Amino acid sequence: MNHHVPGFQELEEECSILDSSGFSRPKRLLPTGEEDIMELLWRNGQVVVQRSTKRGGEIEVPAEHLTVRGIRSTAEEQHLFMQEDEMASWLQYPIDDSSFDRDLYADLMDSAAPPPPPPPFQAPVTAIAPPRSVPEIRPHPAPSPPIALQAQKPEFSPRFQNFVHFSRHPCRQSIEPISKPLATVARESTVVESNETPAVGRESRTSLVDFRTQTNTDRGAAALNAPGTSAGKLAAGTYELTVSSSPGGSGSSFSASRKPHRQTRKRTPAGERKRKIREADDNECRSEENDYEEDETKRQGHLLTASSSKRSRAAEVHNLSERRRRDRINEKMKALQQLIPRCNKTDKASMLDEAIEYLKSLQLQVQMMSSMGCGMVPVMYPGMQRFMPAMGMGMGMGMGMGMDMGMNRPMLPYPSMQLPGSGQPNQASPAPHMGAGFHIPTFHLPPVLPVPDSSRIQAVSSMADPMLNSLVSPDPNQPRMPNFVYPYQQFPAGLQQASQLPLPQNQAAAQPNTSKQTGNMENQPSAGRK
Amino acid sequence: MSSRRSRSRQSGVTRISDDQMADLVYKLQQLLPEIRHRRSDKVSAAKILQETCNYIRNLHREVDNLSGRLAELLESTDGESAEAAVIRSLLV
Repeated sequence: MNHHVPGFQELEEECSILDSSGFSRPKRLLPTGEEDIMELLWRNGQVVVQRSTKRGGEIEVPAEHLTVRGIRSTAEEQHLFMQEDEMASWLQYPIDDSSFDRDLYADLMDSAAPPPPPPPFQAPVTAIAPPRSVPEIRPHPAPSPPIALQAQKPEFSPRFQNFVHFSRHPCRQSIEPISKPLATVARESTVVESNETPAVGRESRTSLVDFRTQTNTDRGAAALNAPGTSAGKLAAGTYELTVSSSPGGSGSSFSASRKPHRQTRKRTPAGERKRKIREADDNECRSEENDYEEDETKRQGHLLTASSSKRSRAAEVHNLSERRRRDRINEKMKALQQLIPRCNKTDKASMLDEAIEYLKSLQLQVQMMSSMGCGMVPVMYPGMQRFMPAMGMGMGMGMGMGMDMGMNRPMLPYPSMQLPGSGQPNQASPAPHMGAGFHIPTFHLPPVLPVPDSSRIQAVSSMADPMLNSLVSPDPNQPRMPNFVYPYQQFPAGLQQASQLPLPQNQAAAQPNTSKQTGNMENQPSAGRK
Repeated sequence: MSSRRSRSRQSGVTRISDDQMADLVYKLQQLLPEIRHRRSDKVSAAKILQETCNYIRNLHREVDNLSGRLAELLESTDGESAEAAVIRSLLV
């Protein structure tokens, strides 16, 4: 037994066995050393060996011829056994598959006339001979590469038989059983399930090619796996040959890609192969297709190295995802901007700031409105002035002052800006409001008006303080609720109280400011609102 | 972060630091009722923005509802009462 690791050349040599020239020789390695790819094609109802290098010369090798040649030699019998050994390992995995293999081997073992056309698969029962051999071989599950190589040979014969059988069955189907053991080997290399099967329909590409490609390493095990599964699948009639395989179709591309594919295959780890082989069960000729697909993917990488191409692709993907994410965020920002009234900011930060304020004011407003029934008046803190209706400006100002002073700071600019503008308001305007007492708090603001903008914040706080003080002092008996509540709480309780409050406040504070500011404040929102 | 700034440059937005953005987003997150409790460090900004928009729309709707109810309430009260004034003030 030759346990040397056959190189590609050897594989090819083996494949070349199919070559007409090699028929007479033992299926073992042929020192042809040709690099051409041998394809077992199913044409015109019989197996045809087509060599890639010699396209022009399609060698039609009758199945029988092949089988006879390859198997009869006694020397080959040993090979057969060895191959059976390999096959045994294959067979071990799937039981039902083994039946098929057994059949195949049965034919081989018998060395009888070329297996009759009748589908060997259909006669799993006939696997009598093979079982004997198989069990013998079983103990040697570890197929050596040469054995694998050799095993391929005998497989050929059964395959040929199958091919004959195929004549009756659709190419696809037929291919499966045969190429499965072979294909399994091939599948190993490529993750992609060869989609060649569809193309195979036309020409059944046996897994001979698989042999060549796969046999490099311990495909035997892989192959064994394949047959079992493939056989099972075959029995199940599942022809997912091309299910997952890329639609590529294969044929010529396959052969073209074969070489590089083969090389890549070699690199594939054995484990990976096995995994792939199982997947490839459905694809008998997938090996070729795998090659094709793998080659395709590799082609992209051929420009760069495989890893670098992957990296660049990953970077591209990352960029794309990043861009998409940013677009999404921008889009949401725009939507938010639409929702915020009178938002003329363009930069994200200020826009977000406004959004935050607006959200707070909205929350406050809703809370106030919803709690109207409780006798509490909604409070709108100064910052909300922008968003509040003109009518409620005064109230809002007053109410919101004490509510969240800390929070109001950023918002102060709003009211503050208007406050200074108010200057010395005419006191007449506030008069009507004063009656309602709404502007109690606002009265306090005016004192702050004259404060320069830089000190707005301080002014606001100071504004709030006096307001709070004023609010609290007059109504000690009132619940110490947030200041903003006070002014309104007074309303139901005693409007007069409220009205009284502003009066002294007016005197104390800059009366004109109050009226003016309220007027201004109202103007502002009204301008915006109305 | 420089990348972020550069990106913002590309997007035509004035440069804002990442921290600033994070802070704003965090503030928004605090305001949002649902996400506030999620406390996950990595709540995407897009999601927060989306939630904010939804929340604002909800609040708008609520304000409308409440305004309607307040209007009804206002009608029930005397037009000159303090409550009426308050209600009117509340109404947009």
